[in-house]
Amino acid sequence: MKITVIILLIVTVLVMSTCRVFAQDTRNQQKISLSGEMGITYEYYGLDKSPETPVPDFYAPRKPWNYFRYLFNPVISTNKWLIPFNISFSPTQNNFLTPPTGRRQNLWEFLTNPANNFGVSPKIGTTEILLGTQTLKYSDLSTGDIGVFGYGVNLSPGRFRFKIFNGVSQRGVNYVSPLNFPPNGITGAYKRNQWMAQVGVGKEGVYFAGFNFVRSSDVISSVSSPPLPPVEPQQNMIVSFLTTASTANGWNFNAELGQSFHTLNLNDPLSVTPLADFKPFIKSHTSTVKDNAVMLGIDKKKKEWEIGAKFNYIGAGYYTAGYPFMGTDRMEYLLNTHFNAWKKKLNVVGSVGQRFGNISHLSGPQITTQIVANVNVFAQFSDHFTLNTSFNNYGFNAPGTSAYKSVSNELSLNPVYTWANSKMSNMLSGTYTQSRYDETIFPAPVTHNDTKTVLLLYVPSFFNSKLNPDFSLMWFHNKTQLIELRLWNFSGDVIWNLTKVFNLKGQLQYALSATSPFTSDKNLLTTVGFNWQLYKKLSWQFSATANLYRYGSELPGSSLTPVYPGEPQYLESSVRTGLNYRF
Amino acid sequence: MKIYVFVLLLLMMLGRNATGQVSLSLALNSRPQPWLAEWSNPVNGAMIITFMPGAAGGDPLVRLRTTLLNESQSAIAVTNMNNARIYNLKQGTNYFNIGDALQFQNLVFQGNVRALLQRTGRLAAGQYQLMVEVMNNAGDVVIARQTRPFFVTSYQLPVLLQPANDANLDAHIAQNVIIFRWTNLVPGGQELPEYRVQVFEIKPGQTAMQAFRGNRPLLDEAAPRGATQYIWRPMLPMPDSVANRKFIWTVQTLDREGNPIPTEDSAIEGRSEPAIFNIADKRALPQEPVLHQNLTNNK
Repeated sequence: MKITVIILLIVTVLVMSTCRVFAQDTRNQQKISLSGEMGITYEYYGLDKSPETPVPDFYAPRKPWNYFRYLFNPVISTNKWLIPFNISFSPTQNNFLTPPTGRRQNLWEFLTNPANNFGVSPKIGTTEILLGTQTLKYSDLSTGDIGVFGYGVNLSPGRFRFKIFNGVSQRGVNYVSPLNFPPNGITGAYKRNQWMAQVGVGKEGVYFAGFNFVRSSDVISSVSSPPLPPVEPQQNMIVSFLTTASTANGWNFNAELGQSFHTLNLNDPLSVTPLADFKPFIKSHTSTVKDNAVMLGIDKKKKEWEIGAKFNYIGAGYYTAGYPFMGTDRMEYLLNTHFNAWKKKLNVVGSVGQRFGNISHLSGPQITTQIVANVNVFAQFSDHFTLNTSFNNYGFNAPGTSAYKSVSNELSLNPVYTWANSKMSNMLSGTYTQSRYDETIFPAPVTHNDTKTVLLLYVPSFFNSKLNPDFSLMWFHNKTQLIELRLWNFSGDVIWNLTKVFNLKGQLQYALSATSPFTSDKNLLTTVGFNWQLYKKLSWQFSATANLYRYGSELPGSSLTPVYPGEPQYLESSVRTGLNYRF
Repeated sequence: MKIYVFVLLLLMMLGRNATGQVSLSLALNSRPQPWLAEWSNPVNGAMIITFMPGAAGGDPLVRLRTTLLNESQSAIAVTNMNNARIYNLKQGTNYFNIGDALQFQNLVFQGNVRALLQRTGRLAAGQYQLMVEVMNNAGDVVIARQTRPFFVTSYQLPVLLQPANDANLDAHIAQNVIIFRWTNLVPGGQELPEYRVQVFEIKPGQTAMQAFRGNRPLLDEAAPRGATQYIWRPMLPMPDSVANRKFIWTVQTLDREGNPIPTEDSAIEGRSEPAIFNIADKRALPQEPVLHQNLTNNK
């Protein structure tokens, strides 16, 4: 509460000082400019199946029937102020990971729906006021992934750095049983409040050293019908020390040490034995845990080359509400490099790393290991011929009584040849990818999974024509001991520049895919659309797609209820259109 | 000799009946939640103490002594009897949750186990036994005892392998086929889990995590049980400039009953750390190699 009052006072002082600045600027003939963009997009989705109501249902709709999204991102600039808006929203709820309300959203639920943004962050000098939805990244171990709806301020006078923000990262949603909201009901969620602050010293692009504090707490009283276990009200606090440094000769260094305090269930009793806590921010309950994490990185960048190394350790009990999906109980390193050679005609990017999992032995006595190695070589042999080669290796090994091992090797070659005459230029691109994936679930024998992909792409460009077509042919083959999948695809695209401000475009794609020993599935996909520059700053885009899919003998009509005499099929149609205005 | 033993047993029974009879029954889930603090959740089981006062009444005041034993029958935690709660049993059946039997707040853990619990709130995966003894009020006489085995499983969610985080996929290939691969659930076990592959479009103006948390998935399909690869046929006009070209994907791991694998934040519902992939159109973009940063995809 006290902190809220302090924030409000800071904001009030800033607003008052702003008024004075405006008054002075008016006398000095303030110049106001507007940039940014605004727009609206609409998507229609339709699905027709033959038969209409098959059992089992062989294809489910994969998009909302109608979807609007509005975008309003102007940036107002004056002599002293910079006011960027970040507003993008959809009036309907399509939430999946976070629960929908199950009814029409009220204003607060609409504003705090994680799918939407309603943010403005006016900045004057070294002060930035943050209002509405903000996705603030303080560091890799504290917060940075989650959008929070609230208020705060960033101050950077001299070398002092201060940031603070308070808001809601998860709206409260009541539990609704499947009986009242078929078929699955609504899981529900507790409202999650989030405080975050950063205090430190720094110089832009040179160094920073400071502490991050992030506290998130679920509000038990935020729901009248609480979610059922295992969804419990939680509390989390992160304290991390972050330092970064860069030198003039290309060295960059960063280090972060973090400690998390996490309460799994606020309904559990307060702990009577000395357990991890961080009073007054966190009072330990019986389900409170404390763990640590470390991230280190160093690299050197020069004009023609770069080399770097990273090390991460995330403890098994490290949890941050700012990165709720972060994998834990792991330690890893990564070495990477990038260099140009042969008069910049050769470009090499490579990395190799290893990840160790289950290092706490929480999931068994054995540590898991994962190896990742990638190299990508791009070579320009002449003005006409380039070759891109990449090799990726992933290996994972989980030893023990229920051991598991997988190895993936993928090699890809992509030569591109271009040539031209006085009337046209041509590009012929080929891609060949061979991927082998071997998997062993002990004591079963190894399963081999071989995949080959070939793509030929031809792009002619006529200098005196308004038509720009391209054609591609693809072959895909995937084979395991049990299944063999083949796919052929032909695709043709064309862009027709009717005028300088209007172009039509179309795509036709036909695919045959077959899983042995069944007959082929057939797929025809066609798209038509246009781009129209209505005015200098206003553009309209339109695209309509029809996707007809007819099943082969893998899904015979006789296997459905009621029995269907022909070949089951579906027609998916979608229309996507958008107006965009650039200020 | 036999008659003496019989008489002795009879006297003991009569003596007990005179002071009351207490019986203990532990109905412990053989696979309780790995977080010991959550054992009061009914899903983990219940404890029933039946108290039948004898002719001379009998003391209804009892304490519980709990011992956790590991696979080699060594005690890893024992109740501190000095702080043990005194229960006043009512006549007949007394119901308790299994958290009352565990007395987590009052257990004294061995060094390594205590350190792991303070960090994670969990016991390491393995076979354990819960032994509960009903003691008299003074804590010096065992009135009833029962031991129940249980198994703790603690999982590590899969790590996404392919497409690597921030990978650029060729539009002409990706519109037909995208291969997803991930590591398996650790430990694997005999009951193969179900992996659901979920792909979300990142709409204009959205961050990747916003799309992940706020949108409906474009793909939400189960791979064949236990398989760690899924071949997706998107059938989307990806070369079209109007089409969405940024996606975020994950794998949701479900157990045999279709329940998400438990994690620290239950709202995650067994979903692995997601990864982003982009669709690149060769006609429009210069060819540039992509540095895969699968190991350090922490934003």
